Amino acid sequence: MPLKKSGPMSKTSHFLRQNNFIIVLMNLTVFPLLITMTIIGILISTPAFLVFKIIGRFETLHIIRFFVWIYGRGWLAIIKPFTRFQTKGLRKGDIKPPCIIVPNHLSFFDTFFMGALPFSNVCFAIRSWPFKMAWYAPFMKLARYLDVESRSWEELFEACKRELRSGATLLFFPEAHRSRDGKLGHFYSGAFKISVATGIPIIPLCITGTGEMYPPGRWFFKPAKVHLEALPAVAPSEFPGPYGHMAMRKFVKALMVEQIEKMR
Amino acid sequence: MTNDEIIRIINDSLIKEFELDGKKMVPEAILYENLELDSLDRVDMVIVLETAFKFKIREEKEIRDIRTLGDIHNFVINKIREIERIS
Repeated sequence: MPLKKSGPMSKTSHFLRQNNFIIVLMNLTVFPLLITMTIIGILISTPAFLVFKIIGRFETLHIIRFFVWIYGRGWLAIIKPFTRFQTKGLRKGDIKPPCIIVPNHLSFFDTFFMGALPFSNVCFAIRSWPFKMAWYAPFMKLARYLDVESRSWEELFEACKRELRSGATLLFFPEAHRSRDGKLGHFYSGAFKISVATGIPIIPLCITGTGEMYPPGRWFFKPAKVHLEALPAVAPSEFPGPYGHMAMRKFVKALMVEQIEKMR
Repeated sequence: MTNDEIIRIINDSLIKEFELDGKKMVPEAILYENLELDSLDRVDMVIVLETAFKFKIREEKEIRDIRTLGDIHNFVINKIREIERIS
């Protein structure tokens, strides 16, 4: 009997030791690299900005959104050795801007994974607190990201219309908060109301694994399998009438619940 | 329809539409803070109530003063009693 038990037990403890070693290695690698990338990014952003602005004659917000996207690509490179990262529906041409991307929300780092999107001209519509992070705030303001909590609905709606008219893609986390149990929370109506009013389609973006990697309330990383999958565009014309946005919200959420279940 | 029945219909409709936690559905619950509904949900809430009770309330000024779930209960009860009186 003891012999029978000792086999699997030793395998389990060996696995746990190995797993703990990887967790320690991941945290000793990812945090310093992220901080280094952030500092280097801040330092070189000004000269790089001037080059793009003077030589390339690009618009300020396009330059900054490009920098943010590059930063996201850097994040994907940092995290790569510790995650099995997969994407679907995110190759060039899979998503046609302008559109409104609605990802589910599991982790602070979900926004970093938006570096996997096939284009950089993305306007994040997010809550107020990220604008208070001193090292990111100037970039967020220059990128003209939208603080959904400090504006009235009318102001937000006008700003969103402006962005979509200019060809940018909007990104809303319809749950507003990170999920604590992995399940999708209540979807707020904003993104769907804008979609119905402007005729711009919604792209549901399903995320799994970031909640295992870095969930709310835990301050260290764990290796995980991270999977991002963009579903086919949902056209607002399918949801006519004054209550169309409510029907669209429920439809998109049901699609995402079903797909996330399959991805797990 | 009794007041209790009206309150039950209101709570059930809001729980279903906004996926609210039934335990939070107390009259003192503040829509923004306790039930975490935003200004657009408030507009949707009017539609939900109109559909549930088959009346029109979107033009009513009192809707702007609604802060708590209890305010919604009282508003709808008063509205239904008013309709009953007229008819």
